[in-house]
Amino acid sequence: MSIKKLDQAALDRWVDGLIERKKVVGAAQRGDHFSFGELTSASELRLDYDMSILPPKKYFLPPTEDLISFRRDGGFESIFEEDPMVLLGVHPYDMFAISQLDTLFSEDNDDIHYRKRREAITIVASDVQTASEDVFAGCMGTATIDHGFDILLTKIGDQYLVDIRTEKGQAITMGFGEMPDATDDDLDQRERLWAENQKVLRKHELRPAVGYLPKLLGESYDHPIWEEKAELCFSCGSCNLVCPTCYCFDVQDELNWDVTSGHRYRIWDGCMLANFAIVAGDHNFRAAKSERFRHRYFRKGKYIPEKIGQTGCVGCGRCVSACVAKIANPVEIYNRIAEGKE
Amino acid sequence: MSKPRVAIFDFACCEGCQLQIVNMEEEILDLINLVDVVEWREAMSEQNTEYDIALVEGSITRPEDEERIKEIRGRAKILVALGACAVIGGVNKLKNRFDLEDVRRYVYHDDADMPHLQTAQTKALHEVVDVDYKIPGCPIDRKEFSYVVKCLAVGKKPEIPSYSVCVECKMKENVCRFEYNEVCLGPITRAGCGARCPSNGFWCFGCRGLVDDPNVNAAKDVMEKYGKTIDDLKHRLALFNTDEERAHA
Repeated sequence: MSIKKLDQAALDRWVDGLIERKKVVGAAQRGDHFSFGELTSASELRLDYDMSILPPKKYFLPPTEDLISFRRDGGFESIFEEDPMVLLGVHPYDMFAISQLDTLFSEDNDDIHYRKRREAITIVASDVQTASEDVFAGCMGTATIDHGFDILLTKIGDQYLVDIRTEKGQAITMGFGEMPDATDDDLDQRERLWAENQKVLRKHELRPAVGYLPKLLGESYDHPIWEEKAELCFSCGSCNLVCPTCYCFDVQDELNWDVTSGHRYRIWDGCMLANFAIVAGDHNFRAAKSERFRHRYFRKGKYIPEKIGQTGCVGCGRCVSACVAKIANPVEIYNRIAEGKE
Repeated sequence: MSKPRVAIFDFACCEGCQLQIVNMEEEILDLINLVDVVEWREAMSEQNTEYDIALVEGSITRPEDEERIKEIRGRAKILVALGACAVIGGVNKLKNRFDLEDVRRYVYHDDADMPHLQTAQTKALHEVVDVDYKIPGCPIDRKEFSYVVKCLAVGKKPEIPSYSVCVECKMKENVCRFEYNEVCLGPITRAGCGARCPSNGFWCFGCRGLVDDPNVNAAKDVMEKYGKTIDDLKHRLALFNTDEERAHA
């Protein structure tokens, strides 16, 4: 739609103005880490953050979410908990992940609970200013982004370029006074920053091409690495739980004290957890740790790409950091199974 | 449908789990509306030998305790172990690391020979009688307790998490305690507490016992990655998981 330019003071005024009118959530410092949380002042927003502990997925698919209230005699009502907000500072790789969830939750059975939340959120993405320790988005084609967001902020020198792409984005920039237009020179600088970020956000170097992963994995089902890595796996699910593209959930019922009514909720689940694949009759079709471990890398590198045409890993590196046993680096695993195959 | 009759008993423990039930405050009215509490020494004077569900706190530490828990088991249709002492033996199992006679003298001095102060190896309830359901934790989680009682009242099997504390810790967006160079038992400990200790700045003490299939060998190898020793892990396990610490020594 248009690309504007703001200095830090003008950006802060804009954010403070938004906070007066809406719920605004952004990347903020939390102890010695960063996380997304509700902002009370623009001064809390840290667009220079390297990585949030959890991805912003938590606003689209919360850890637990009520789905229906029910009566044991059979009646029920859907519960929708959409939470309108402006989400500030979503990095490109996390934006790719949100777009992927959009696709997956609207396929087959449209997930109304997800969609209602999604529609109520305006996303202001932000190009990465500080590379985190384990990010490899540069290898996955997700270091920069051109779609999916409502607004994209890019820091050029001491100015921010404000790239407004949608009606929703337009709506939250109205009424804050005139914003000057970005110049051709600003846009050239942005191109250079994007090229630079493709190089910088590569703390781990993936050797096989991303497009080759499905075929590579198809030939690696019996590779010894699955057994080897799983020896050290706690099945704690940390890699699943911090992942911006993992979307599996369990559904549970909880009764009220009257035991004639209750609510049904969903709660994050993960394919690395021991009971994830238990089905009726107590049969566990992925009972061995190595089977679960393998499944996760197949899911990201083969099953998701075959389903929607894009890789299921966006290279944020959260799983690399979150794994206590330090066995969950997808780059290390894909490089290893590619050995001798290129 | 008549209300299920519930009796609450205790063995060797601090009675802190029963205190959690008392602490349900206004919800305790919902509880007694749903079930008929017929015996509960901590909260009422009445006693009763007729009950459907026995909720039992504490571990078995004396010869006469074994007889008493067997009698309770015989009367109850459903027996629920309440809290770490009942479920895994809890801190009481520390006693099993020492000579029992020494322990008795150390604790009771001149009174050690009195007949009611006989002592035996500490056992969790399931080591003496069949236990139908377990509500782990030191103390129990009130929300989980309410959930189990409601399930039992309608004849539904309660599901206690089989996954580790890491799951709930990640949901709370905590920073991993290992990043602070602490030995945390979260990766091998059963969840259900909402990662209470890590969420309040401590490592996980393992009070809910280990998950069904804990990778204790991995825990040993992982110690090295963090500049820790197997002894560091064993010390941490000893508090609530003496048996596990010994089994994997």
